[in-house]
Amino acid sequence: MVIDIENLEKSFKDVKAVNNVSFKVKEGELFAFLGVNGAGKSTTINIISGVLNKDGGSVKVCGYDISNNPEVVKSKIGIVFQNSVLDKKLTVYENLKYRANLYGIFGSEFKVRLEEICELLELKEILKRPLMKLSGGQKRRIDIARALIHNPQLLILDEPTTGLDPKTRITVWNIIDKLRKENGLTVFLTTHYMEEAAVADYVVILDGGNKVAEGTPHELKNKYASDFIKFYNKREEAENYFSGLGYTVNSVRDYTEVELKSTAEVAKFFKEKPKLFDDFEVLKGNMDNVFLKVTGKDLKDV
Amino acid sequence: MNECKKLISLVKRNTKCYFKDKLAFFMSMITPLVLLVLFVTFLRNVYIESFYLYFPEGFTVNKRVIEGIAGAWLMSSILSVSSVTVAFCSNTIMIDDKIHAAVTDFKVSPVKGTTVSLGYFISNFFVTFIVMMCVMLVGHIYLAAVGWYIPVGNVFMIIVDCICGILFGTLLAGVVESFVNTQGGMSAVATLVSSLYGFICGAYMPLSQFSKGLASFLGLLPGTYSVGIIRNHYMSGYIDKLATEGIPTENLKGIKKSFDMDLFVFGKQVTLGAMYAILLGACAVLLAAYVAIVIVKNRKKS
Repeated sequence: MVIDIENLEKSFKDVKAVNNVSFKVKEGELFAFLGVNGAGKSTTINIISGVLNKDGGSVKVCGYDISNNPEVVKSKIGIVFQNSVLDKKLTVYENLKYRANLYGIFGSEFKVRLEEICELLELKEILKRPLMKLSGGQKRRIDIARALIHNPQLLILDEPTTGLDPKTRITVWNIIDKLRKENGLTVFLTTHYMEEAAVADYVVILDGGNKVAEGTPHELKNKYASDFIKFYNKREEAENYFSGLGYTVNSVRDYTEVELKSTAEVAKFFKEKPKLFDDFEVLKGNMDNVFLKVTGKDLKDV
Repeated sequence: MNECKKLISLVKRNTKCYFKDKLAFFMSMITPLVLLVLFVTFLRNVYIESFYLYFPEGFTVNKRVIEGIAGAWLMSSILSVSSVTVAFCSNTIMIDDKIHAAVTDFKVSPVKGTTVSLGYFISNFFVTFIVMMCVMLVGHIYLAAVGWYIPVGNVFMIIVDCICGILFGTLLAGVVESFVNTQGGMSAVATLVSSLYGFICGAYMPLSQFSKGLASFLGLLPGTYSVGIIRNHYMSGYIDKLATEGIPTENLKGIKKSFDMDLFVFGKQVTLGAMYAILLGACAVLLAAYVAIVIVKNRKKS
């Protein structure tokens, strides 16, 4: 296990920020940690990375307990913060050099590592440019380079694509995919974008400091999200039929949508009312539905 | 050993960040240079008249000596005040790192919090020293133009005095600004110190001009002795020159007392050695306070 958290507890005065949370992250996994602001995500990350002390429970990273071996744990983790924390007036090279030095990487060792990072993230051309003169996408690449400069086993991405334009988001995700495929890196992701969580290997959802759901996206969707049939023709008939059976029906401009209890129901209705099904599609519930169901909150609204 | 290399790297990074911010460097330089310009423009004649009051009636003296001693008095004031005010203004990198969360980036790295804090202190010392040497160079060009009677040994001692003053200033800034977390707070503290310190250490007005009670109170503040030592090394060459020009010893004693070369606290003269001892003793106390604050802050991870 890269991360092994048991019964984690953390309070700030009377506020219980993290309440008896346990989860594991396997090696090479893309792990998504979901929750609205204040759910306890950042507190958990800060405890994993040694910024905050825990009140109770145990936190192990790569087999090392954060309380007993903070320095070792820190050298195993690379973090990409939501906002860049690098020095805007310094060049990319200077930023990476001074951060590498904090991990005891100096001289020729740094040059070798820099070469590897430059190749991986295509940084050579911007190495001598000050950070403040780079585009948003280039800056994000430098943030990732900084997180990887000491060759960590775990990469924590704290809302890495929030506020980025779609093109830059794709660039960031291409880099993350490349790192996972080529380096087998374990990625711990917090995000507000459900489509990003949907491609994760495992998902944990926090709400009010409590773990409210966990599983693979497929498991979560099966457990918490309803499936839908969209009717593009015979809309009125479909609406009358399913309303009569007590199903939730929603009609919009192009289609009529019926919320099903399970995917298996499609076959049943297809047999019973084949004429309704001349132009339709069946959709599985997505992670937005899962999140809404388990927390009662829509991530788009928070 | 590794921690020492990390400290050197942090000092280099902090110093580089400071000097790449041209505005911050300009703002640190401008205050002492404005003082110098204001003196030359408005107060030069007032000080020269003050010195003439101590000469026997009808006695004429080389104009360069009088112009020079007035300038030397002002340079000693500017440098002793600047050692504290510049240190307060130059500590911007510590505050910027708090605001832009670079501090969090250091916390997730395997570097000790005490190393980071020591890095801020040492880099602030270097920055203040460089700014002070620039101001000193400008001041010495002015003194060379109006009348230079400072022995080479005293120039060396003035640099030593500056180092003592900077040590005091950077430690004081480190202690006070440890509790400041915003740019506004930093500006408020720097403004307060810039406007007050010159008066309470007897730099703008000699202690002999204050009431006995106030002069004795100011004698309890270590900054007063930072001014005292530097005044002695700036002005003693001019006093020697005045002695060779035939000014009676009693008159020279009057000048030394009135212009704070000879400091009297509770009616007793403080020797030059005692001034150094008090100033360095104050540095030791501030160092202990700074170390205590750093240790407590690093233990307290909420």
